[in-house]
Amino acid sequence: MEDTRLKERKKKHEKMELQEEVVGGRVFGKKPRTAVGMGLAQTSSQGMNPLHTNFQEIGRELDLMNEKRERLVKASRDVTIHSKKVIFAVHRISGLNKAATLEQAQRDLNAVRSNQVTRLAREMQGNDYWKFRRAFSPGMQEFVEAAATVEFAKTGRLLTLAELNRSFLHIKDAANKPFEVSIPDYILGVGDLTGELMRLAVSGIAAGQPEAAISVCNLIRGLYEGFSMLPSLQENLRDWKTKSDTMFQSLMKVETACYNVHVRGSEYPPEMLAGDFEYSRDDHS
Amino acid sequence: MDENRNLMELQFEEFRAQLEESGAVREKIRAVISELDNVIRVMQAALLPVHHATTPQSGKEVLNKAKSYIAQLQNLYSQLAEIIRVRPGQYYRYHDHWRNQTHTVVFLLAFVHWLDTQGLLSHSEVETLLGVKPEEFSIDVEDYLVGLCNISNELSRYVVNRVTAGDYECPRQVSAFLSDLFSAFRILNLRNDLLRKRFDGLKYDLKKVEEVLYDVKIRGLLSDQAAPKPMVS
Repeated sequence: MEDTRLKERKKKHEKMELQEEVVGGRVFGKKPRTAVGMGLAQTSSQGMNPLHTNFQEIGRELDLMNEKRERLVKASRDVTIHSKKVIFAVHRISGLNKAATLEQAQRDLNAVRSNQVTRLAREMQGNDYWKFRRAFSPGMQEFVEAAATVEFAKTGRLLTLAELNRSFLHIKDAANKPFEVSIPDYILGVGDLTGELMRLAVSGIAAGQPEAAISVCNLIRGLYEGFSMLPSLQENLRDWKTKSDTMFQSLMKVETACYNVHVRGSEYPPEMLAGDFEYSRDDHS
Repeated sequence: MDENRNLMELQFEEFRAQLEESGAVREKIRAVISELDNVIRVMQAALLPVHHATTPQSGKEVLNKAKSYIAQLQNLYSQLAEIIRVRPGQYYRYHDHWRNQTHTVVFLLAFVHWLDTQGLLSHSEVETLLGVKPEEFSIDVEDYLVGLCNISNELSRYVVNRVTAGDYECPRQVSAFLSDLFSAFRILNLRNDLLRKRFDGLKYDLKKVEEVLYDVKIRGLLSDQAAPKPMVS
């Protein structure tokens, strides 16, 4: 009942709108607030109820905003996918192919930066970074993680935010300013890094390189200590908490692994530990 | 390795400083917002008697009383604008702090404006009333729209009370205004968010107002109809 009545009203209004468009001659309204005529200019803003003119303008603004958000979500997803591939490539590194794999990973990372990240950055200007942050933050975090993983595999140290932003210098946003990652996005990305490092350490031990595990352990410890002194991230309170927890879990795992190597490893000479393992693995395959 | 550790510590020290600074900004904003909450509450209370103002004179007084708080709103919004001004591009980093308040402020301003003129307060008029410059501290357009949706609720109550007080013209005005607003909202492509939900509520208010209008009309209480004998209940 109510539905049909509403429908009738709607119809009536559509009719009225049409009539007004035809009949009215006066020009209401003002210049569009967003002067960038994005080619979306509606047919006629003449002769309409000023309220409708107003709302058409608002509608255009909302549409542009939503379209931009959609594009950012897509761009962010692409960044994530490609960054993940880089991380996996680093995990495939083992003794023999290290240099080549690493080089390839670095090349892939550069490609993500100059393609996907650039596309994302180009959408933004002014207030947009914080306005749409929820749309693209996951992608940026993943990229931070990938870049830091590659950096760690190469040099054994942590990629700093300053270095990361320096690598973005040539990437310009829509206002032609260099794109920069914010501290929260960097921190959350690095928070994910510990999980990757933990995997690297454990597989390092399995491959007979306990020194690698110890250097990972040191890095995670440093990260964890650094994280503990930060005030919690107000922008991503929940993410922040889960990440701090996971980080602690990863640290514990690596520390336990190091302990095991230390205690049990002392029972064997190190060459034997490694050699033994390599041998038995070859045996099985 | 040690140098490495130092570098990391240095970086985290810097982050800590910056995040604490950001926390301080939030504190400052919170202080302004709690004052804003007070002003909103008082203004809302001052406006409520409009529902039972019997004479145009007393209605005017209520309106003027409510309007007298606009200056305080301006003051508080300019304080917010000042905090944001030195942090260009970070408006939306702190937006959550004043989002709800802005909904209510828009509602109050627009309701007062309607009572005054029976017209809709536009987005740029809101910014003018609050004394904010769009390039510095704009009122988010979605916040403006949510604020508008809140009007319909108040208006449907207002209509009932006006009719009870014997003002039979009011339902017609309100229903014309609300259905205009409703059809204007339908121009927008809304996402599935808060605004959409609020907009969905609008039609129920419109329906209520139309029912009142119907009641008044069918009993011949509208002035342009030859008044048959009023119903005695």
